[in-house]
This record gives sequence, structure tokens and C-alpha cells, in this order.
Amino acid sequence: MILSDSAKLQISQTATRYPKVRSAILPALHVAYEEHGYLSDQMYEEIAQVLGVKFIEVAEAASFYTMFPKAKRGKYLIQVCRNISCALLGSHHLTTYLLDKLNVGLGEITADGLFTVVEAECLGSCTTAPMMQVNAHYYENLTVEKVDRLIEEFRSQK
Amino acid sequence: MSDFNITVNGQQVPVTKGQTVLQASLAAGIDIPVFCWHAQLVPVGACRICLVEIEKLPKLQVACATIASEGMIVHTDSPKTIKARQGVLEFILAHHPLDCPTCDKGGECDLQNLTFKYGLDYSRQHEPKHRVIVDANSTFDDLLIGPEIIRNQNRCIHCYRCTRIVDEIAFEDDLGAYQRGYHTEILPPPGREIRNLYSGNVVEYCPVGALTNDDWRYKVRVWLTKQTNVICPHCPDGCNLKLWTFHNKLFRATSNANENIDNGFLCDIGRYGYRYVASADRIKRPMVRRAGELVETGWEEALTFIKKQTDDIKSKLSGSGFFGFIGDIRTNEEIYAFQRLLRRVIGSNNIDHRFHRRRRLTPGEEVISRGIESDNAEYKDIENADVIIVLGSDLHSENPITSLRVKRAVKRHNAKVILLNPLPTPLGKRTATVEVIYKQGTAAVLLHSLIDAMVDLNQFDASAVKLSAADIADFRKANAAYSGVKGSEITGVDVSLVARVAEMLAAAQNVFILAGSYIERDPLRDSLHLAVANLQSFCKSARKIFLPPDSNSVGAAFLGAEPTVLPGRQSWAKKAVCEDLWHGPISDAPGKDTIGILEAIDEDEIECGFVFNADPVRLFPDGEYVRSVMEKLKLLVVIDSFMTDTARFADVILPLSTFAEIEGTRVNWEKRMQYSQRAIPPLHESKPGCQIIELLADRLGVRFNQPNPADVYQEMAKFLPTGAPTIYAGIGKDGFLIRSVAANKPGKLADLRFVAPAIDTEYRFFLLVGNADHHRGALTERNETLMKFTSEPFVGISEADATDLAVSDGDLVKVESKYGRVVGKAMILRDFPSRRVLLPENFGEMSTNVLMGRQDKIDLVRLAKM
Amino acid sequence: METKLLSQFVGDPQQHSIERAIEHGAYQAWQKVLKEIAPADLIQIVKDSGLRGRGGAGFPTGMKWGFVPKETLKPKYLCCNADESEPGTCKDRVLLEGDPHAVVEGMMIASYAIDCHTAFFYIRGEYDVGQVRMSKAIDDAYAKGFLGKNILGSGYDLDIVVHRGGGAYICGEETALLSSLEGDKGLARLKPPFPAVEGLYNCPTIINNVETLANLPHIVMKGAQWFAGLGTEKSKGTRIFSVSGHVKNPGNYELELGYSLRDLVYGLAGGILDDKPLKAIIPGGSSTPLLLPDKIDTKLDFESVAAAGSMLGSGAVIVIHEETCIVWVAEILAHFYMHESCGKCTPCRQGTGWMYEILRRIEAGHGKMEDIDTLLDIADNIEGNTICPLGDAAAVPVISTVKLFRDEYVYHIEHGKCKVRSQFRLRVK
Ligand SMILES: Cc1cc2nc3c(=O)[nH]c(=O)nc-3n(C[C@H](O)[C@H](O)[C@H](O)COP(=O)(O)O)c2cc1C
Ligand code: SF4
Ligand code: SF4
Ligand code: FES
Ligand code: FES
Repeated sequence: MILSDSAKLQISQTATRYPKVRSAILPALHVAYEEHGYLSDQMYEEIAQVLGVKFIEVAEAASFYTMFPKAKRGKYLIQVCRNISCALLGSHHLTTYLLDKLNVGLGEITADGLFTVVEAECLGSCTTAPMMQVNAHYYENLTVEKVDRLIEEFRSQK
Repeated sequence: MSDFNITVNGQQVPVTKGQTVLQASLAAGIDIPVFCWHAQLVPVGACRICLVEIEKLPKLQVACATIASEGMIVHTDSPKTIKARQGVLEFILAHHPLDCPTCDKGGECDLQNLTFKYGLDYSRQHEPKHRVIVDANSTFDDLLIGPEIIRNQNRCIHCYRCTRIVDEIAFEDDLGAYQRGYHTEILPPPGREIRNLYSGNVVEYCPVGALTNDDWRYKVRVWLTKQTNVICPHCPDGCNLKLWTFHNKLFRATSNANENIDNGFLCDIGRYGYRYVASADRIKRPMVRRAGELVETGWEEALTFIKKQTDDIKSKLSGSGFFGFIGDIRTNEEIYAFQRLLRRVIGSNNIDHRFHRRRRLTPGEEVISRGIESDNAEYKDIENADVIIVLGSDLHSENPITSLRVKRAVKRHNAKVILLNPLPTPLGKRTATVEVIYKQGTAAVLLHSLIDAMVDLNQFDASAVKLSAADIADFRKANAAYSGVKGSEITGVDVSLVARVAEMLAAAQNVFILAGSYIERDPLRDSLHLAVANLQSFCKSARKIFLPPDSNSVGAAFLGAEPTVLPGRQSWAKKAVCEDLWHGPISDAPGKDTIGILEAIDEDEIECGFVFNADPVRLFPDGEYVRSVMEKLKLLVVIDSFMTDTARFADVILPLSTFAEIEGTRVNWEKRMQYSQRAIPPLHESKPGCQIIELLADRLGVRFNQPNPADVYQEMAKFLPTGAPTIYAGIGKDGFLIRSVAANKPGKLADLRFVAPAIDTEYRFFLLVGNADHHRGALTERNETLMKFTSEPFVGISEADATDLAVSDGDLVKVESKYGRVVGKAMILRDFPSRRVLLPENFGEMSTNVLMGRQDKIDLVRLAKM
Repeated sequence: METKLLSQFVGDPQQHSIERAIEHGAYQAWQKVLKEIAPADLIQIVKDSGLRGRGGAGFPTGMKWGFVPKETLKPKYLCCNADESEPGTCKDRVLLEGDPHAVVEGMMIASYAIDCHTAFFYIRGEYDVGQVRMSKAIDDAYAKGFLGKNILGSGYDLDIVVHRGGGAYICGEETALLSSLEGDKGLARLKPPFPAVEGLYNCPTIINNVETLANLPHIVMKGAQWFAGLGTEKSKGTRIFSVSGHVKNPGNYELELGYSLRDLVYGLAGGILDDKPLKAIIPGGSSTPLLLPDKIDTKLDFESVAAAGSMLGSGAVIVIHEETCIVWVAEILAHFYMHESCGKCTPCRQGTGWMYEILRRIEAGHGKMEDIDTLLDIADNIEGNTICPLGDAAAVPVISTVKLFRDEYVYHIEHGKCKVRSQFRLRVK
């Protein structure tokens, strides 16, 4: 058992809100992701059992969306928007700046386990570009200074 | 019967309302290319190769999913259409590995063919090809994704036929499409394999070589092969196969789609079943017992031996000292010729084909043989039913294609499916609306509880079922002991569940009842036949099918393989017809059935037997008894393809050709007679059954001059109902339905006399016999491919019993009855009821019949960990 | 000048609380509807108002509602589309975070009009604040009796379920949204059947954009005539435009339809960054064709933008200045569509990747002259031939940039590098 009892309870409660339980697969994947920071076959299996849906339905759905990765990530998952509005304001340099600063490759975990940097498509923050999402939070109108400050904050919070 | 016309390329094309542009065009002979569309699948419009121009619509439309409407003007060859089609082909080919020279699909690949026909003659794609790398050291990216199936993702054109077949047709879930965009990959769920009973269809319907079979891998180029059309010998569903041969060797089987029956799908047993034909274990030459040992010999010697021995016995005992068993998997011609041999040449009516199920005859019941007393009904009637009852049958394992039809009824027509079974079966997973598990041996009571519950409902309309109030009242009174709570105590089925099923039945307009092998094995099977008929009387409209045990059980029953009925199920009064046709007298001595024969041998009244592709030693309940009896025979002639348990007792063995080496007809559960071609000449020194029978008849004194099935058929056809084709050439794709006039008329209501099965405190478990995954009967054990799916027997028990006995999965357990014992590995079955043991009947190493008593109506065993 | 209809209170940091929202008039329209307006009349009012969808296609909202079959026994569903993922677009987010009750109220009104008793709020998974605020707003609305059973004694029941997406642009497309809501992969479906007839769980379903719905309380309170008085002849009301890219004051601006593009870019948005010359404007999100500077006086309404050769789309105005390499812009957008193609149909699944690969090669300096026509032809083979409009959308930036800036492509291929430099450094401060 990987998912906690409270996660399972939350999943089964969510399911009651939908006319068909299968609809609760995405919410369930969110619950699992929030608890563990990644997903696994075992979690798919447990979700399928709690909801009474098919394992394959969970596995297929999870593989389609970007928010349910199977790979483990750093404690802070930094997603830099690479799309047009952000790119026009230098987001590509933001990515390289972060990778250099954290001394890590795209998608890898820093040695201290704290950070993973990935690129993302438009996150709906285009008027405040460039931006990045760190875990659930958006950080907008980014500058070198701001990024430095944020990384320091994350490091100090550990 | 068209409703209106549309115009396609200037041609008037008739349309039946609801048809797509594609369907109408194809029917009119206008070719529109397709990849993702398949007649049996819901259109998804994914591949876009079928785009056509429809006047007044701004965009091209997919012909496969566009419903034709009156006045449509369609162009399939306008410049716009051609450009789009070439564009789609170019897109598909852009990242295709173009490895046709090493692809098994070469020669029958839709992508090759459509590129050949419509493709561009240049390529603009200069980017590196996407490749899903499985093996970096090889140019092939083959991935084994199940026991038989190999995937090469790089060839996949993302038509999703495979996943749709698995989901929509088979109702299974072991193949999916993962990721998105061009990364989309076809795979089983993580950590699993594709191994459902219908898995081979994904290979057949993959339009390219993305999914291929291990079986056929790199063996032969498809264009070098020859195809023959045969009828599958593995179960009474009667699917149509194509056998693919090269230099007289079998290489694969595919569907020879027949919409009456299989809709183009096969189960894996049928698809890979042919592999037993070339098994190294085949009996290659005739054998004769010399000094206690069976030694190979020639045909002439074997026949001379038989002649001499039979003469001796005949002089002593006359014809009644002989018997014959014939297997239900043989063709009608063989069965007919075999019973003629016994009755006319040997002078014995001791003949039976029901040697593999215990059968105690009750007066008046002797003519009943499963399958033949079914109503007149076809596959398509299953689809027309709104409620389908599967009674006492693991329909999935025993009648896989019937099972698909039930699923289709659910998918396409929202039919409700009620399972009434002594154990949970795979159909319970997704097909069934309700699954009812009754205590072994109480099915008849359950049916009466249902009837009783139905009558109480508002929806029940006595006028619609044509029963008088008095009849109903009498009936209920007579069967009061089996209704409501009392019934529930006997069956173990909750009253509320009974009520729920009753409601569905009372509301149903059209009920279809499929009764299977657990009915045959039920201690109350005699009453059950009546109980089913009673239920039928209480439904507005219902048909009942008693699924026959083997591929040609119905043919065997119809063509004289039972002691007291002559071919065509003629009564003895019609004996003269036979004597006339057979140029001589037949005996009046009443024939004995299986049990009668065995007892007569035991009492030295019978000394010689001809066993034709039958294995009573392996299958007749009470294996020990059969063994002891076989030993007593003076002469046992076994005609078979393999060294069966029975053949080990033989004095002479004549090598018999298998289904692929003979032609002939078979009758499926619909009572549809179909013709099966010969694919290859007899292997080794084996001979086709009709030829062997002719040789024997000739040697024993009567020459029929019918060594070929076609000759036998012409005589046999005289016993078929009027209208039957008189020669093979007259049997078309639809075959011929052997209808009986009496069927579909429910009989008189009968009450039930229920005797509760005796409970034994020592032998506390009910024995249930079924089929292991990918096996059916005894033939599949000789099949390398099917053995890949399940290779050994198991002892299936419930979780509760496992805990009780401290048994875990894979532990050796012994199963014992009063008669014998077997040992096997435990398999703990989820949701399986306790106090039951499930054994597969497919493996020689674990003969289930040693546990059974021939006098018993129910089989009880005990279990212990080794 | 902005016309702050929907965004009037979004600047108020407490507007997301139900108390403040009610102070500002929230749920009055809802009460009025429940008390005074029959569903059929409501549909008529919305028809009369001339409201058109704000999700991209601009389909008349009242007419869409009218397609829901009346006699069916099936339940009917409303889905609020808050998947907002079209590059350049973040206007729905303004409402979700700044005035969630307006969206909830809009959903209530639309549900009532189509006789829906379970409505779904589908929000892109990444919108965390929006999701929290909308969930809270819905909970509070229940607490106040605006949702639930027998709402305010009217006999009408309504539940709203918040559903978070999992990260997939395609789920903004209405049929893919339904697949996703059903728990499946976000695969688009063939139309017909149209969702209004056979949508979620095969039942009649209306999908409306956040902003579309947020207009409804205003229309109910002030009347169809009043609303129809805003905007132009065929484009009524206001729209929130997300102005991003090379402008001095990027942001979301609510404008009466028909507002001049020049006034937006050079007025409200403060003009071009560093006062560089304008190169092009994408007026309606990444899926709409570019406009050259000569179209700067185009009026921002459905018809005028169409006449100028583009589309109003999602109202995302992306401003691009002279120092931007157009091949690079096309490459970024092509990457996006490749990444977001659901993969169901061939032209989009294969074509988006192919276009991206060619553009990447040209951008990297390895282009060949025939690539340009190949690109156009690939785009042509995608456009109009796919299941859903994502394929068409993917073709647009390619076709549009090649058509308008062919010389730049040629230069890029001939010289193996950009004609103009686009080294957009990250600002230090
Ligand atoms: C690829 C694609 C993405 C879309 N994304 C969105 C979206 O994020 N939000 C939205 O409201 N509409 C989006 N749409 C439009 C919707 O399909 C649909 O037309 C709209 O939600 C209808 O609402 P409306 O009539 O209120 O505009 C998208 C369409 C396509 C083809
Ligand atoms: S594997 Fe074959 S059947 Fe399946 S999607 Fe690919 S091409 Fe189609
Ligand atoms: S156009 Fe693209 S996103 Fe739309 S259905 Fe086809 S593959 Fe999917
Ligand atoms: S383009 Fe970066 S958030 Fe939209
Ligand atoms: S055959 Fe019509 S879209 Fe594939």
C-alpha cells in the first residue's frame, strides 16, 4: 500500500460527486501526485481498486497528461514557460540561467535533491511574462534578481 | 430495399437509412481506402485516409463516419480528395521504417497496398525518423507483449483498431494506447501482457506489421501460400477459418469471416488450434499389439489382424458383442459411415458419442442429447434479445465466439445479461448485468424460484405468455417448496437478487437462454431441461439453446451415433429406409448407451470395440472403472491421431487424419451444417476417417464404395431435412440449418422433483470441472502455442478455503474422492465461492475423471495440502 | 479607455469572498432568474443580447443553448471551460481569481436555461489559485443556499463540481474536454454528434467559456437591449484582451468590442517595448494569423479582425517587435502544437511534428529552399483534414508567417542564420 488511508478516503469521496466513477480518475491522480510527488504502477492499481475502475483506464489516462509524471522530481519542480509571450521576453535564457545556476541538466534532480528544472508550454500567465511555476505556485515578471532571491528562499526553506 | 440514393462520382448509389457514405459506396462497388475503419467497430475517423469531397460542405469529410443523407453528391477522386489522401499517406510514411522486406505483413499490408495504389512516388521527408528503440543493437524493435504477440511500434499507424477490438469487441483490457501525440504507444497495461482469449485478432486486424504473431514469424511469405476454408473443430460455435499452407505445411489460421457466426473474429484456441496437427506425437503408422507391446506395422497387416480377430468374436457372440464410440469432433460423414459400419457390417447397435459425460438414462429421456433438443435459433437471435440468460456455462471459455455475440448484444443493443452459474465466470467482469451464483446442483430450484417471483410482479402479463390462470396456480402450488425463502435456502441465492432477475425477465420482450456444461454435469440435469422449458413458458418470448459439448455433437446426435436412433433421428420404425440404402439388414437388437456398453463389457457380453477418436479412459467419469473394463476386451481397435489413454489399451491402432487433412461437414450449436475443406494431404501414413471406415467395411465383408466424404455425403444427405443440399457444391457460405419443427414451442408445464444432493461430512467440497485459460477439452494439450498461455493444470479454490487449509498459491494439494485422487498446484481464485474445487479437464497429467463415480449424480471431494 | 463590465471589481483584493461579492451585487441576477424568468425566456434574452462565445470560435451563445433537445429524458450538463491554455491567453484567469462569484453565477444562469442540474467547472490543472478560489466560491454559494436542492425555495436543484485537468491544451477543445471529464485521455471526438445533443456521458451538454458565462449576470440584470447596445453591430459587449509580448504595459484590458487595435497597443499597453518598430501582432491567441503593422487600425471585433485576415480568437494580443526572428516564432508555436496534439488523427499527429522539425532545422541554419513550400504544403494537408480544430490551429502560424515573411525564411535558409537578431535577454531587475 502506497497511498495513505486519508488519500484513499479523499479519492472515494471525490468519486461520489460524479455521475460515473471513471470521471474521478483525474482527481484521484492529483491526490496521489500531491501525496508523493510522482506516480507509479502501484498507485494506479490502488486508485483503480478504490474507484472500482480498470487499471488500464488509470494507466492510460495518467500517461496522457503532463501533471502525473512517473519520474521522481526534486523537491521544487521548476517549470519555465517556453511559449511565445514568455519567449519574447527571454524565457529561454531563464531556463539556461537556472540550469547553470543549479548546475543541473533539464529534467534532472540537483545533487541536494531540491530542484528539477523543466520547460513547460504556456501556463496562462502571458501578460506577466516571463514566468515559472514552482510546484503549485506561479512566479511572474521574472528577472535575474528575482530568480536569485527565490532560489535562495527555497534553499533556506529546504 | 434502399431508402434513397446518393451520387458518388456521378454514379447513383442506393443507401439504407443510417448507412455511412463508405458503407453505401463499398456496397456499390466504389472503392474508398480505409485504415482505421472496420466493419465490426464503431467508426472513429482517426486515420483520415477516407476523406472525400461532399458538395456544399466546406471541408472534406471522412466517408467512414459520415452518415449518408439524401441528395448528397460525393467525389472520391476529385483533386482535393486525391491531394488529401496522398497527404495522409505521406504523413503515415514519414516516420515509417519502410522495413517491408523483413516484415511479416508484407504482401497483405494495407499500407503497402494503399501506397501502391494512391501514394506519391517521391519523398520530402528528410528528418531523422522517430524510433521507439527496443534493442539498440538491432534494426528491429520487436517487443514481445504477450505469449504470442510481438509489437513493433515503429510500424504502427495509430489506427487504434487493436485497442478497439480488445475493448469494444472482446470487452477485455489488456491492450491500450499510452502517452499522446506521435509518442502514442500501443502496449498492455504496465507490468502485464496481452493474453486475452481473443488476443490473436489484434494481429489479424492490424492493418500493418506493427503487431505480428510469434507463430507465423519469418516462416513464409504470404504470397507463396495457399488458403483453404475450414470449420474450426474446437468448439460448437462453428467459426470459419482460413488455413494457410505452403508445400503442404500449415503455417497459420485466420478468420474466414462469416457474418452469420463469427463476424470475422476468432478465439485464440481456434486461431492457434491447428498446431496440434503437426505435433510430433502424432501416431504415424498403424500399430498392432504383439507380445503385449504395440508395434508399428503396415495397413494391410493391421486390417488382416482385425479381420481375423473379429471373425472369432463374431462367431461366438454375434454383432451384439461389439461396440463403437465416436468422438464429437469428427465430421458428419465419418460419424454417419461409422454408425453404418457398426449397424450394417458388424451388426451392432451399441454405439455412442456421449462417452465423456456420465449419463444415466431415465425412461423417455434416452433420445435427449444436448444440443439437438435446442430451439431453432441463430447467432443473430442473440442480438435480437433484450435479456440473455447464461445458465450453467462458462460461456467465455467454452463458447468464445458465442460469448462475443453476447457482448455485441450488450454493446450495440444494450441487452441485459444474466449469469446463473455455480461459480463466477469471466463474463461476470464486464458483460453481465447480474451474476447469480447458486449452490452446485440447485439450478432447477433457482429457475423455479425465478418463475415464482416473476408471477408476483406487476410487469408479469399472463395473457402475453399464454398460460391460463389455473395452470399458473397449479404450477405454483406444485412447486411451492422451491419458491421464495424456501428456494433461497436451497440455492443460496438471496431473495432480493432473485426478485431483481425476475423483474428483468418479466419486463423482457425477448429472452435468449444459453445453457451450458454445468447443466449437463448437474445432478438434476433431467429436471433442468424441464425447468428451462418451464421458464420459457413464463416468458413473453424465449428461445433456449443447450450448448453442445463439442464441435460436432449435434451432428453426431443427428446422424445416428446414438444407440436407439437412426440417422436423421429416425425412429426404429424407419429401419427399412436404412436397410434399403445400405443394401442389407440391420440388427433389431436394442443398442446400449455408454454406460450400458461398459457394463456389458464388464459382464463379458461385449468383447470387441471400435473407438474412433474418442478417449473414454480419460473422460468418462470413473476412470478406474473404464480402465478395468478396457482391459477385459478381447479386441480394442482404436482409430486416432494420438496415443490417447484409451489407445494404450488398444490391440490395433489405425492412424487417423486430423481436421486439416480431411474434408467434411460439421453442425454447430445453431444446428447449422457447414462444409470444411481439406487443407493438406494426410500426414504420415494416416488416413481420413471415411477411407478407414471403407477399408474396414470392405475387409469385414460389405463394400460401400464410398471412400470419399463427398460420396458419403450424398447418401447421408437423404437423412437431412428437405431442402438440404445433396452435394457439397450446394453448401454455400450460409451452410444449411437443420431445423426441427417441434422446437420453439414450450412444452407442458412440469413440476420439479428435487432431491437435495447428499452432503458428506468427509468429502466436503463440490468438484467443478472447467477449462484452463486458452484450453478446451483434451486437444489443446498437444498444442505448443496454446501451452504458452497455460502449461499445467491447477486446483482452483476460494480464498477462504485456502486460508482454512493454510494453502498458498502454487502449493501442492491433493484432491481426493472415494474413487481416486489427483495432485496439483493450488490456484487461489478471487471471488470464488468456498467449498468448491475447480479442476481443468485439459491436462492428461491430471485426469479429473478418476475422482468421479459413475453412479453418482454429484462429485464430492476432500482437499489437503501435501 | 477600458469598459469595465466583467472586470469592474477584479482589482478589489476581497472580491473573491462571497460577502464582498454580494455587496457588489453578486447573485442578484441569479435570484431574479429563479423568481421571474422561465428557461425558454432566458434563452431568448441571451439570443437577443447577441452574446457570442468568448472561448475562441465566437458562436452565438443563445443559439447554442437552443440546440439542447427539450424532450429528452436524459440529464443535461453544463461545462464551464476554464482550460485556458491558448498561448498568449490569460483573461479567464483574471475572472477566476479576481471575481469567481461572477463565474459561478454565470454557470448557475446557464444551467437553469438548459435545465441542467449538475454542472462541471473544468479548470486547467495548473491554475492553482483559480481552482482554490472557485472551489471556495462554490462552497460559499452552497452555504448561502444559492446552490443545492430546492434553491431559494424555487424547486430548482443545482450542483457544481470542480474538475481539475491534468495538463493538456487539447482539453480546452470541447469534445476532448468531455473525454477528459469522463476520466479518459483528452482525445477529441468526431462531430456530429454535437455535444449539445450527445456530449458528456452521451447526454446533451453545453460547453461555455468562463468569460462567456460571466457576462450572463449583467445581461440578466441590465437586459438584452442594454447589452446589445455595447460593441458593434454583430459583436456585442466587451472582451478582456490579454496583451503580451513586446509592449511596455502588458496586461488584461476589458474593451468594448470594436475598440481600435492601435489604441490598445499604443494607448493602454503603452506602446512597443524600447520604442522599437512593430513587426507583427497576433490578435487572437497563437492559433490566429499574424497581422502586419499596416493593420494596426483594425477594430477589435469579430468581423473587422476577420476582414483584416485574422481572427479575434481568444482575445490574446501578442505584440512582436522588429528584432524578432519570425522563423523562431513559428518554431516555438510549432513545438507547442506538436506537444499538444492528442494524436488521434494522422495529419495533426504526424504533421505538427514534421513542421516543427523543419522549422527547427531552418532555425538551426540547415534549411533548404524547398523547405518553405514543403512547410506550406504540409500545413495545407493538415488544415481542414483533422478531427478537431487543433490541426487547423497548428497550420495557421506556419502558413501565416511564410506568407507574410517569406523573405525572412529565404534569408534564413540562404545565410544559415536570422535576418534579425532575437536575443531576448532576461531583465536583470
Ligand atoms: C485546441 C482548442 C483549444 C481550446 N481551448 C479552449 C479553452 O481553453 N477555453 C475555452 O473556453 N475554449 C477553448 N476552445 C474552444 C472550445 O472548443 C469551445 O468552442 C468553447 O469552450 C465554447 O465556449 P464559448 O461558446 O463560450 O466560446 C478550444 C478549442 C480548441 C480547438
Ligand atoms: S498496432 Fe496496428 S492495429 Fe494497433 S494502432 Fe498500431 S497500426 Fe493500428
Ligand atoms: S486535430 Fe490533433 S488534437 Fe485534434 S483530434 Fe486530431 S490529433 Fe487530436
Ligand atoms: S506564454 Fe508563457 S505563460 Fe503564456
Ligand atoms: S477509415 Fe475513415 S478515418 Fe480512418
